[in-house]
This record gives sequence, structure tokens and C-alpha cells, in this order.
Amino acid sequence: MEYLNHNLERLRHSYPALVAALRESRGGVLTMASSREGAPSATHGGQWIHSAYDPRKESGSWAEQQVGEWKTGELGVVLGVGLLYHVEALALIKPPKWRLAVVVPDVSVLKDAMGARPFESWISTIQWITGTPNEIAERLAAQSAPLRFFTYGPAARLHGEEHQQLETSLRRMVARKAGGQLHVAVVGPIYGGSLPVARYVVRALGELGHRVTWIDHSVHHASHEAFGSFREARYRLTVQSRFADVLSFSTIAKIAEDPPDLVLAIAQAPMTLAVLQHLRKKKFTTAMWFVENYRHLTYWRQLAGGYDYWFVIQQEECIEALKRAGATQVHYLPMAADPAVHHPVTLTTDEQQEYGADVSFVGAGYDNRRSLLPRWLSKEWTFKLWGNEWDGATNLSSVLQRSGARIDTDACVRVFNGTTVNLNLHSSSSAGLDAHPDFINPRTFELAACGAFQLVDERTLLPELFSSDEMMCFHSPDDVPSLIRTWLKDSVGRRDHAEAARRRVLREHTYRHRLQDLLAAVGMQQPDRIGSILRGERTATELKRRTDPATELAPLLSRFPPHQRVELKDLAADIRSRAPGRELSREELLVLMLDSYRAETRDLL
Amino acid sequence: MPSKPLLPSEMTQRVLVIQLARLGDLVQTIPAITALKESHADWDVDLLCPMPLAEIGQLLPGISAVVKWDGAAWHRRAASAEADGYSAYIAAADAELRAMTEDLYDRAFVLNQHPRSILAGALLARENIGAITGGPLDQKLSPWALYIRSVASAKQSNRIHLADAFCGMCGMSPPKRIIPIQVPETALPIDLDPIGQSEGPWISVLVGAGDQERLVPVAAWERMITECLEILPASRIVLVGDQQEQERAQSIQGSLPLSLLGRVWDTTGRLSLIQLASLLTRCQIVIGADTGPLHLAAAVGTRVIGWYFARARVHETGPYGPNHWVWQAEGRERDRMDAVKPSRWPITETIALLRGHYDATVADWSLWESYRDHWGAYYVEAGHEPIEPLQREQVWRQLQPSSVS
Repeated sequence: MEYLNHNLERLRHSYPALVAALRESRGGVLTMASSREGAPSATHGGQWIHSAYDPRKESGSWAEQQVGEWKTGELGVVLGVGLLYHVEALALIKPPKWRLAVVVPDVSVLKDAMGARPFESWISTIQWITGTPNEIAERLAAQSAPLRFFTYGPAARLHGEEHQQLETSLRRMVARKAGGQLHVAVVGPIYGGSLPVARYVVRALGELGHRVTWIDHSVHHASHEAFGSFREARYRLTVQSRFADVLSFSTIAKIAEDPPDLVLAIAQAPMTLAVLQHLRKKKFTTAMWFVENYRHLTYWRQLAGGYDYWFVIQQEECIEALKRAGATQVHYLPMAADPAVHHPVTLTTDEQQEYGADVSFVGAGYDNRRSLLPRWLSKEWTFKLWGNEWDGATNLSSVLQRSGARIDTDACVRVFNGTTVNLNLHSSSSAGLDAHPDFINPRTFELAACGAFQLVDERTLLPELFSSDEMMCFHSPDDVPSLIRTWLKDSVGRRDHAEAARRRVLREHTYRHRLQDLLAAVGMQQPDRIGSILRGERTATELKRRTDPATELAPLLSRFPPHQRVELKDLAADIRSRAPGRELSREELLVLMLDSYRAETRDLL
Repeated sequence: MPSKPLLPSEMTQRVLVIQLARLGDLVQTIPAITALKESHADWDVDLLCPMPLAEIGQLLPGISAVVKWDGAAWHRRAASAEADGYSAYIAAADAELRAMTEDLYDRAFVLNQHPRSILAGALLARENIGAITGGPLDQKLSPWALYIRSVASAKQSNRIHLADAFCGMCGMSPPKRIIPIQVPETALPIDLDPIGQSEGPWISVLVGAGDQERLVPVAAWERMITECLEILPASRIVLVGDQQEQERAQSIQGSLPLSLLGRVWDTTGRLSLIQLASLLTRCQIVIGADTGPLHLAAAVGTRVIGWYFARARVHETGPYGPNHWVWQAEGRERDRMDAVKPSRWPITETIALLRGHYDATVADWSLWESYRDHWGAYYVEAGHEPIEPLQREQVWRQLQPSSVS
């Protein structure tokens, strides 16, 4: 009690509301235990929050590791309260004017800390941020300084869920405010389902005002196929693997020609671990949007440590698996739709004849679809099946369109628009519904973006993306015929659901939203690099504002449009273009000298 | 067009010679510095050179002070500037340059055509002479720089040595005399200290080269060393090279007969530049391709035998000063622009030279001996009279009439 009063007294003037909340709080979340060195330590759920031997020493080491990343002008934000040893260590080694905040999702934990040991004056320099995750996110987003997060794992573990919500909310808020122009190199796959996603990503980034270098490996598809024609498997695999190496190397060459701020690979992009490690060595930031079911395609295991950021369409298990495999930053980023491609279309009579049906399914012939779709055929409705890989599915041959040829995106859009009830059955290699029904496939968003009505198999991650007023799910294969029957009769209900789902997509689930989220996540981790560009701090106006007016750098910056991002190479190029016959200023010479080394620093080959 | 003449100086001037290339070029700058000091004994001549070469730069005759160019720091600064924004790093670079020299030099002699050398000149001195005329970005080469470039690209049969062309770039004629580098007494690692202290000859073999195409094959060195040790019973071989060349040195020793190993001293990767210079003074002969240590050996006054092949040409970059020998690999006429890749090496013939037999010949190679006169260094083919080649005077007349008059 003595320590508590002593500590609260230090906070009384600056944080009266927090002090009142602490007094009212019951505390008792942490279990106190004495460390071997004698200082108090604590456990929760049987796990140590601080060292059982020497909490001060351990926290000191942790703080030393963190402070190296911290840049001038950034607000340090600590996740994890514990007994505040780590906050104290960080507060004591940071430069005096640097600001430090601590996120407090539960004041009871803070009360335990306040009662456990006396704190010195550093405690009154801390900015304590309390509230719900959303409230905390709002307060952090309102800060004028860039945020630098420091996670003290053992203590942060208590509020993992709150921190996750905080991160998601903050990311969205930051994304909404972001406006700077990044240069992103998008690396696409050679072929497959992620290829159109890569194209949508390229368009979304462009629409958001970023500069995109599209490294399109689909132009090599024919060669890849040709190399796949060897009868001997080891020849085929060796040649295709070497071919992937060549493409990976060609990616580096492309990046070297015009170095981006971020290299964003889309699932199946031919990037080897060696190339990713080389890019890291050369200080490139890399990210992978793994738009695949991590349980089916497992090459992420080899690449996990290679990318700086992973974005995945599944949650807990997937994120944990990637982290165990060596990934450091893993974020959930569900699929989306591109309204420029997937949108409502009025079909002509002929088109309606060709693409229209009471019930349709578009997709490849996975095992579960082969076993379930025949059960949903009926004389009560017309049924059309579109897509490839249906060889041998004789019980579906009567409804299979175009002899099982792959159909393009434009045809898909027409099928979706021409169908009364679209079936959306997520793929699985088992006979029934997907045994791990978590991720949401792109078709869910695409059907919704088309304003088409769909019946989708139930997914654990669906409720947070679409409400039951927007999306109709089925829980069991046996429910489907009756649902079809019901919804075929209810045109108003179909229209209400479909329109609501489309509105939701346009509001929250386009590729633009996803890319904003993705960039905000990277920017939050790199407030001094990607983050500063997204905040518009590299524009001519902002750079000029922060430049000493006494130097000749300001007039150089004045030559650029106010909102244009101006990097060193841009300044150098401008100086070179105006150089002949003119005496260069000292600043101009320095810019040119620095730029000559910059060009070599990024020499990748 | 003559290069810009130097104004007569009434006051002592602070001048800076800028040489940011490698060791060989730095050593080849000695005649230009000497010529500057001969003409303007009252000038303070400082040298700007890469930081790793600064300890050799300090030894160049005529140099008052060495200004170290820290390329690694510039690289780090550039990487940070790209990541974090550049304003602060431009200010930091400015502060570092001001720390190098509070006042601008009156004049910089810029001896490289690399943009960085030219920018460094513009940043550190009021007036620049040398590689370019006009502003740093005008890309207008001076007559001497054009001459060097045309020689390098066309492989013209020329008679102006690079070191003398450096003199021309400074507006100077070649110096009257060449002062060898005086190497201060420097201790070698204790196990290498006996080198040069007993009967010899002590022969240095430069096992490596900066460029891959200038590497003499390990097998050729191994044969030359074996034959040399067998034919010259008192001889000792010293293997010289940097850390990356240790493996080559080990390969060479691995192939030698055990009975000869006691006469081979491996110094690769173990010496600082000053220690290397000291070591080279302890040897009577240095043999190697056209490399920095070969030129350093000539500069400290040790006789050298160069094996010039690939793109190395004796008339341009042969060891500077009299009494050196160069074996020049001859490519076919149509291959003039290509790197010459010898199919055989002048091994027996080099050993014959060591024994004082200057008439040995070998197919596809020619042998040249160095001389020096008031037009600078020149080479004469073995067996020919040392008549001064006329081309040099013509070039000097054309590029620098003031020197000729």
C-alpha cells in the first residue's frame, strides 16, 4: 500500500483520471514472486512475466536492444505492462527529450505494478494510454509524431488479443490518413490463381497514387510449360527449378534498374530464399501476400525467414506456423475484390442464354466439389457448371459447360451476373465440406462485388467480413437443396442480400482497402522509412519546411511541385539537367557526390 | 589545345593533388608531384587519396599532408540518406569536408576522370586543373585526359607513360629527377624478419592481381619458382599478396618439391602497406603482373620484371624509372582491343634475365627495358639501341606547347 500511494502521488497531477481508476481497480492479475536477486518479480498463469533471477538486468538488456531502432522525433510505444522494469529501463537510457508511452489495456495490471515496488521520477514522464483497443488506437493515431512500437513479449502476452485489435484499428486509421507516394515493385507468379490477384494489386496501388513497377513473370509461362514436358520427373523438376532461379535473378535485375521502397511478392512469385536474403542485405524491404491456403501449399516453410513481412488470409494457426518457421512480421490480410473488374453487368438476351442459369458453380474440380455438386442437381432448377479439371466427373457431364475449359474473368463476371443462385463452395481435398473452414476465397468477394446472390459454405472468418444480412451461408451439404429452393423463390431477399454485400465490398473489401492496410502495417513497423513516405514527409513542401533556410537546399526543393516526392536521385537528376554552363553551389555538389555513392549502394548485381 | 598554364605564384599556394584510384595509380602520381615541387618549391602540396592508401600517400616525396577520403563512410551515409531522408546527411557530409580542410585549397589537380574525383576537386578547391575543363558536369575532358582515354580505348602505339601524362594534366613537364620513396624503418612479423637479411638474391613474386584477367596461373608461378630455385641455388622466393591471395600462395607451395619449401617465404595477407613497402626494399627483384605492388616496388627503388598481358601495355603503365624489364604479351593485330590471354609464359626467359642473359626470346612475347629522359619514361625493345622515341616529343608539342618551348 505504501508503494502504491507513493507511485500514485507522482501521477496525481498529470493523470488524475488514471489515478482514480487505479484506486478503484481491484488489481490482483499478477502473482508476485521474489526473484533470486531479491527484487520483486511476477508470474501469470504459471509463466514468468519478468526474470526469475534478475528482472532489472533482463529488462536492461531488452531496452538496449530496442533503443537502437528508435529514431529522433518518434514516440516510443511500449506494449506489455508487467511490473514496468522494461519501461523503466527504456526510460532511463533514452535521450532526455524523447517521449515514451505505455499502452494499458487493463489498469488492474498497472495497479499490481504500482503496488509492487517504488518508482522514481521517470514514471511521471511516461504517457499512459488506457481504454479499449479502439480508443487507444484513436489516441495513438492522433499523435503528431511517428510511432515506434516496442513489444515486451512476456508481459504483452497477457493482452495479445487487445494488442491485435489495437494494431488492426490503428492500421486502418493510419491507412486512411496515408497519402505519400511509394514506389512498389510487385512481383507476380508465372501462372495460376494468384496471377489475377497480382494484377488487381498493381491497379490498386496505382489508384492509391503510388508508383508501381510490375514484374510480370506470366510472360514466361510458355517456357515454364515447355520445361514441364520432360517425361523424367527429376529432369523436369531440375530444369523448372533452375528456370525459377533465373526468373528470381531477373527480378533482382529489374529491381536494380529502378530500386523500389518495397518489393511486394504475390503468392507463387518465383523468389528464392537466396535472392530474398540478398535483397535484405542490400536493405530492401520485402513483403509477401500469401493468398493461398497455408495448409495446402507449404513452400512458405522454406521462405518464411526470407521476407520482412508476411500477409496471410488465415489467422492464428497460420500466423503461428509462419512465426515458428522464422517469419518475424505476420499480418492477417483477407482477400478482396476489384470493382473495376467485378461489377454488375446487364446481359443481353443471347448472353443470358449462354451464361444464365437458376444455379451455377464456377471453379476447378476439387474432390469435395466432385462429391457434393451432384447432390445439388435437381429437375427443379437449371444448373451450369463452369471451370476446368473436371475430367472423369461423369455424373456432372450433363451440366459441365464448354467441355470443362477454363473460362476467363470476363466470362466469370457474366456467369455471376446471369445466375440466380451462385454456389460458392470452398475447395477441399476431402469428400465433404472443408475440415478447416477459416479463410475466405476471392470468389466470395468477387460475387459480392458483382451484386450477385451467393450461397457460401460457412467459414469461421466470414462473420467479421460480412453480416448475415449480406451473405447467406450453409452449414451442411444437406441444407443446400432447400436453401436453393427457398432463395429461387425470393427475388426481393436475394436482391437485398446481394446489394448489401456489394455495398460492404465497396466500403471495406476492395484491393485498395487491402493495399492501404498492407502499406500501413509496413509503415507502422518502419516509421522512419516507409512510414515517413506514407505520411508525406518526403514531399517537396515538407522537406522544404524542415530544411534550414540558410542552406541552398531550400531553393533546390522549390523547383519541384509541392506534393511531389523528392528523393536524393531526383534532386541529383534535376541538378544534372541544369548543370551545363552554370556554377554549382556547394549543396549541389554534395548532393551529386552523395548520389554517386547511393547509386553504387543499390548496385545489386 | 594546350592545357591551362599555371599562373606564376607570388604567394605560397595550398594545392591538392587528387588521386582516388588504386595503389598503382597513386604511385604513378609521384612524377607529377615531383614536377609540381620542382616548379613551385614554395607550394604546400597535399594529397587526397583513399583512406586505405593514406599510409603510402604520406611517403610520397613532396607531399605536405595527406587528406583521407573515406569512401566507406560515404557509402554508409548514402545508404542512410536513401532510407531516412537526405537533409541531415548532406549537412553531415558538408561538416566532414570542412573538417578535412577549413579553407578551400587554391587549386586542385584532379588526376582521375571519375566523377567523384572531379566533384571532390570542386568541393575542396577554388580552381581545378586536370581531367576536365569547365564545370564538374560539363563532361569536357582536358586534352591530356582525352589522350589517355584514346590510348586506352584504341591501344595506340604511344610513347607517353601514364605517370608523365599525369604531369601534363598538371600543366607540368616530367620532373628532372625521380626521388624514390623513402620507407621508414618498419618491423615485419618476427618470423618474416629474416627476409632479405642473408645471401640471395631475394626475389618477390606477386601471386595475385586486382583484376581477374591479370592473374598469372598458379601453375605458371609454380614452374617459375621451381626452376628459379633449382637454377639459382642461393635464391630465395618471397610470395607477396593480400588476404584474398593466400589461397593462391598456398596452392603454389603445395605443388613445390619439399626440398625447395625452406627457401620460400609466404607473406600473403600478413603485411600492412608500409610493411609491404619495407619488404619490397629488402628484395633485389620483384616479378609480377601489372599491379599496385609492382609499381610500389619500382617506386621504392627495387628492380622489377613485369609480365604484361591482358590489357596491360608496357608503354602506358610500365614500371616507372630506369632499369626495369617488362615482358609484353603480343596479341594478334585483330585482337588489339581484346585482353591478350597468353598460352605460354616467359618462365625460362625470366630466369635467364635474372642470370644476366638479356637475349632470350619467347614466342608471342617481347622484352622491353625502361629508360627515362626529359620527356619522361620510355621503353626500348631488348636488343635495340635506346634511341629516344620521337612520338613523345610530338605529343608534348601538340598537347602542351609551353612545356616544349
